[in-house]
Amino acid sequence: MNVTNTQDVRGASSAIDRASKWARSNLFDGTGSTVLTLLTAVVATFLIYTIVKFIFVGADWEVVDVNRRLIFLGRYPKEEQWRIWPPMWLVMGLGGLTYGLLSRISLRDLVWLGAAVMFLLVFLATLTNGLLFGAGIILTAAAYGVGRSAVERPRLRARIRLGLTVGWLLAIPFAIVLIAGFGGVKPALWGGLLLNVLLAAIGIGVGLPLGILLALSRASSLPVLKVFATSIIEITRGGPLIAWLFIARFVLPVFIPGFLETDPIVNSMIVVSLFTGAYVAEIVRGGLQAVDRGQVEAANALGLGGFNVTVFIVLPQAIRAVTPALVSQLISLWKDTTLFAFLGFTDALSGGQAAYNQTAFKGDQIEVLLFIALMFWAVAFGMSRLSQRIERVLGIGAR
Amino acid sequence: MTDDTTQDSGNDISESPTNGSDAPIIVCEDVTVSFGDFQALKGISVEVKEKEVVVILGPSGSGKSTFIRTINRLEEHDGGRIVVDGVELNDDVGNLEQIRSEVGMVFQQFNLFPHLSVLRNITLAPQKVRKMSRQDAETLGMELLERVGIPEQADKFPAQLSGGQQQRVAIARALAMQPKIMLFDEPTSALDPEMIKEVLDVMGELARSGMTMLVVTHEMGFAREVADRFLFFDAGEVVEEGTPEHFFTNPQEDRTKLFLSQIL
Repeated sequence: MNVTNTQDVRGASSAIDRASKWARSNLFDGTGSTVLTLLTAVVATFLIYTIVKFIFVGADWEVVDVNRRLIFLGRYPKEEQWRIWPPMWLVMGLGGLTYGLLSRISLRDLVWLGAAVMFLLVFLATLTNGLLFGAGIILTAAAYGVGRSAVERPRLRARIRLGLTVGWLLAIPFAIVLIAGFGGVKPALWGGLLLNVLLAAIGIGVGLPLGILLALSRASSLPVLKVFATSIIEITRGGPLIAWLFIARFVLPVFIPGFLETDPIVNSMIVVSLFTGAYVAEIVRGGLQAVDRGQVEAANALGLGGFNVTVFIVLPQAIRAVTPALVSQLISLWKDTTLFAFLGFTDALSGGQAAYNQTAFKGDQIEVLLFIALMFWAVAFGMSRLSQRIERVLGIGAR
Repeated sequence: MTDDTTQDSGNDISESPTNGSDAPIIVCEDVTVSFGDFQALKGISVEVKEKEVVVILGPSGSGKSTFIRTINRLEEHDGGRIVVDGVELNDDVGNLEQIRSEVGMVFQQFNLFPHLSVLRNITLAPQKVRKMSRQDAETLGMELLERVGIPEQADKFPAQLSGGQQQRVAIARALAMQPKIMLFDEPTSALDPEMIKEVLDVMGELARSGMTMLVVTHEMGFAREVADRFLFFDAGEVVEEGTPEHFFTNPQEDRTKLFLSQIL
């Protein structure tokens, strides 16, 4: 007992020593460094003080509070709100399970997740919503636990992996069927952050596989396939997303009879998927070229044919090599979903604009925009953290 | 074209249940390969019998690697004929697949699949090509890892292994297809000196077990010990061939003598 105590004391004092040594060598190493440190400290303090003061004293959050529905759901009918929860639980459960299977949660991720959950609870805080969301959190934690416990059990792990693959593949169709099907809400009424999330999810869910197919086609030796893929990629990348959205909405219906009848959101979703596909294709093509030729030779020498070589040898290595660029593209898509405001849809951003244009809340732009910015940032940051995690897991076998 | 001296090759193979037919398992007739204007192989005619171990020597750029790579069509020959185990190597994809699944290859740079575990590296091809069940493939994979002496590395990834261990996994991976012929393309050239022996030991064991082998190597001690026959390549031609004894004691051609004086 005594011994431990002395060690504790010594440990503490050496920690202080280390801290002061670190500060001296990193913050106050010479006049220039000291001046910079002090200057940064002053500016940072000022900024943080201003922002914190605004958030807790100056801001009037009533505008956000009252317009929660508008920002999160747009014109989505209230009585159909229950349809959103099951897909959300599915995604949360799958997320927890995947994370658990991949790695133990780090303290840092736990803090970030905790903050996000607290934030959402505060803002979704009707009792029902809070309970439903809480159920999702419990489900996520349970799924994470199951994932962790399966790590050491190969057979269970294999089964869970299969389940996860199927689950993730079905998540988006399930969400759409549940929201739009069975007398549900037609896409024209989707709105708010829900619309941004669904657009991004479909853009990723369709665009990613489409992009991989396009990349493989472009790298193929069949001229027809190659020309076809190259044309799609180059034409799509030739215009900005907003232009393509306008073209799909206003030009194509003139040339393609029947296009008019498709729901405007559905035809925008097609555009977003194609657009994402084209960029993903070029990123993946870069990855395909980075795979060593010896890999293909070794696979061929084993008697593996073209399909097996592509699926089991080349693609996994190509995608691993370009994961950072891919995630960057997907984050960019997530933010581009705000462009839909220009087509007259009520996404989170335009819902927010509608909120601060109400006479009661004139002049409250800052609150609304800060709130929306925070939500977009949180999702983008989450994607970035997730990709780092995936990279680390995939990196086990890296050379 | 084959020296009479190669006939005594059978002596080494004590455990072979049969003497094998005398029909060659690989027949190359006047094989040529060109890369653009450069003719890498200028008419190679070689026959290899079952269970024979042939070591191919030659200076770099002599076409020795190109030659063994034509045998499983990693390089396409543009003239002559190659017949492997009775199947002619041509544009017929069916023939190609059959030959490739019967001919194993080990590369200088190992070329293990970095994203797959050691065991998965070995089981992938038997499962996908031979349609073996996962369980059978894993049993086979563990036996082969046992044979090359590293069963404890099964669940690691290639990058976590030393060069010598990686090359032994590569050998196990090729053997998993139960090939009749093994091609080795400078298997120890990329290894640190202290790891060469462990790979050569595995190859020696394989040679003694009766595997038909074509080996490009500069390891003369090993070559002398296991080879039934040497082929000396220079400038895309077989300049001289014969038993190891012949090469070490009585080489005929000036180019052979020069080469041997440089590497011995």
